[in-house]
Amino acid sequence: MQTQIFITFLVIIAAYTIAKWRKLSVEISMFLAAVAGGLFGAITNTPRLSQLARHLVEGSFTYLDVMLIFVTATIFMAIISESGGVNYVVKNVIKYFYNKRLIVLLLLMLITLVPGALTGAGSVSLLVVGAPVAMALGYLGIKRKKAAAILFIVAGLSAAAPPVNIWAMILSAGTAIPYVGFELPLGIPVLILGTFTVLVLGWKKEEKSDLESALKQMPDIPKGMKWWRVFIPFLVFFGLVAALRVWPFSLPIIGLPLQFVIAAVFALLLSPKKINILRLSRDTVKKLTPLLATMIAVGMLQQIMTATGVRGLISYTVISIPLVLLFISLAVIIPVSEGVFTYGGAAIIGIPLVWYLDSIGLHATMAIAGLSLIWPLGDGLPPTALIGRLSVMVSEYKKSYWSFLKSTWLPWVVITIVGILMVVFSSQLDFLVKWSM
Amino acid sequence: MSRQIIYKSAMVLIIGAVTVIGGLQLYQHRHFQTPIIAGPGVTKIKKLSEYAPGLKGTMADTNVFFLEGSEPGGKMLVIASTHSNEPSALLSSLIFLENAAVEKGTLIIIPHFNNSGSRSTRQGDGYPLYFHIKTPWGNKKFRMGNRVAAPLDQWPDPDVYVHYPDKQLLSFLDVRNTNRTWPGRPNGALMEKVTYAAMELIRKENVDLAIDIHGAETMFPVTNCIVAPEKSMRIATMTSLTLKAMEGFDNHVEPSPTGFRGLSHREIGDFSEALPFLLEAPIPFLDQPTGPKTENLLLDGKDPFLLKLAQKGMLFVPYDETGWPMAKRVGQHCSAVLEIAKQYSQKNQERAVKISNVPRYKEVVENGVGFYYKDPSKAKKENIFYN
Repeated sequence: MQTQIFITFLVIIAAYTIAKWRKLSVEISMFLAAVAGGLFGAITNTPRLSQLARHLVEGSFTYLDVMLIFVTATIFMAIISESGGVNYVVKNVIKYFYNKRLIVLLLLMLITLVPGALTGAGSVSLLVVGAPVAMALGYLGIKRKKAAAILFIVAGLSAAAPPVNIWAMILSAGTAIPYVGFELPLGIPVLILGTFTVLVLGWKKEEKSDLESALKQMPDIPKGMKWWRVFIPFLVFFGLVAALRVWPFSLPIIGLPLQFVIAAVFALLLSPKKINILRLSRDTVKKLTPLLATMIAVGMLQQIMTATGVRGLISYTVISIPLVLLFISLAVIIPVSEGVFTYGGAAIIGIPLVWYLDSIGLHATMAIAGLSLIWPLGDGLPPTALIGRLSVMVSEYKKSYWSFLKSTWLPWVVITIVGILMVVFSSQLDFLVKWSM
Repeated sequence: MSRQIIYKSAMVLIIGAVTVIGGLQLYQHRHFQTPIIAGPGVTKIKKLSEYAPGLKGTMADTNVFFLEGSEPGGKMLVIASTHSNEPSALLSSLIFLENAAVEKGTLIIIPHFNNSGSRSTRQGDGYPLYFHIKTPWGNKKFRMGNRVAAPLDQWPDPDVYVHYPDKQLLSFLDVRNTNRTWPGRPNGALMEKVTYAAMELIRKENVDLAIDIHGAETMFPVTNCIVAPEKSMRIATMTSLTLKAMEGFDNHVEPSPTGFRGLSHREIGDFSEALPFLLEAPIPFLDQPTGPKTENLLLDGKDPFLLKLAQKGMLFVPYDETGWPMAKRVGQHCSAVLEIAKQYSQKNQERAVKISNVPRYKEVVENGVGFYYKDPSKAKKENIFYN
């Protein structure tokens, strides 16, 4: 059986490689890899041929909710942008804080951290505040590549930040550890690493700029644009998120997609200029289609890998690594699992890993906190590269994706080291958990 | 016609065909009905919605079977399919339902507690849609369900689930998990209504013992055990010791954590007079490092990766080439339920629950699970209930 599974794995890799070599897109290549893996597995009825179509359909729905959030959040931000709101915010940030670089960088970091921390999704941070923050970074003399790098790392940290950390929640649910005591183990490293990132990547002014010319370069603000026209739609969105936390038993669950839609309606009504919402929505969905298609294909591939046993083989291989080597290899395993499976990586590798670490006397909550700092880095890795691609998109960096990714190396390495050390010394750091409770 | 149009048309046709074929199979799974034969002990059948009207007409409503003894006594509730991807619970509950004779007290059984979850699949996890149990009269077919309710019945999810009433933050998925939504509320999300209905049943029927049957991974420390809060601890310990001594299998006791909310073994005890217990039997199918997720793995629990991990001492249960067959898991559950009733009844004669004609561990392992299921084609029509 193990040989069969291994060969299926090779078939999936070969199909993906050939499809890419034939210059097919990432999503089509992944779909073909899933079909090839499924067909090969069907030789030994894993899965049965009659079930292959069902597995593909079922897998395609794995990330439906995430896709809906992407679409609605992006349309919301597109309305804000089209109304001139983004330019208005950026112009004012630059106007008032241009010469206070430390403050402006920390302020932009906090603005990026909040949406992701509240929702557990770095993508929400990027979709909601990514574009204005990227623009502000640009006017501060930071090149687009570096701006994309800052957004990618900080958005990733926002997803790891308390109160909502999806990886930690998946691991807690899967290992029967209460999702409590994560505030300090996650909050402290996120703030330190976030500050480190914005200072390392953003402190140096790489492009010549001064306040006057920066303000001149900025696009004109539509007549009638006021701070409250930008502020109210955001207030509506964050108000809805906060209200469901404050009065969870009095309000109905409406979900993030509808929260974004409601905020978008406010943005549309408050826009000082007329917006063709149908055209804007169509253009936005068109822009997002490759990303959405990737999510569908990833779900299919994940389903086929499980049905054929390939996912189990990967999980088995990871937890069979000797301990010291395992700690070192977390630097690769964790981000790669995220790149391939997104949140699924936490279940496939994370759950058995945490059980194993717990059984050898490490502190499970601290270990989960450490691991969930490293997972977001994987959102920059193919085949999914969700946050990476969004970072590049909102900061309008048009050159090679790899050159952007390379520019993140220093915070990437530091975050990885901090995360691994938190796992290794989890027992010694358990006071952070106690202080949080 | 250009090559690109031919290519695109072909892709649309292929995707369309795959969608129709796959979608139809998923539709059939959702609407597949499992015949349940009410045994001689069944005296009445209610709907869970009778305890919380908000469930009426929804996919979450489910049958509640009452087996009332001729002599008054205590009441024991058995809940199965809280997690419908842990089928040893359903199979055990059906053995009780189709065979048990209650001499004293009342046995209440809910075989598909999360009915919606039992009609759903776990996207991305490649489960089979059905599994079959061999019986003397042929194979009995069951739906393989999911851990949480179907999004078709409860959607959307919140960005984070705030547990009622403690406000503990839980994973967004847990809003559809009927072992995180206890004690529930009448006007909450659908699964909160399900657990609220069960709490109402427990309170209104004066249930003494509430047993929630589950399965857990072999790599999970809380497996092969009875989870019990402080108030149930004495009975759980006595049950565990007796099962080890008399029937030879391990079923250790795990304390119910006070800081982890929403679980049946915690909230039932805190919000009613009943003594809660949660039974866990190993289910290798749910472990992450396994081969293909096949029906065979689900039923016999044999897996080469788990065997290697067992040799490295990484599992929390003994594991060898024989795997962990379904009959062993179901047998454990049957014995544990009977023993909990016995231990309670010994100390509470007035509220005793006495059950007979249900096999114990050794018999189930010897005869197989299907041996105890009745043939629907030979059963009286009025005794067949579809879940």
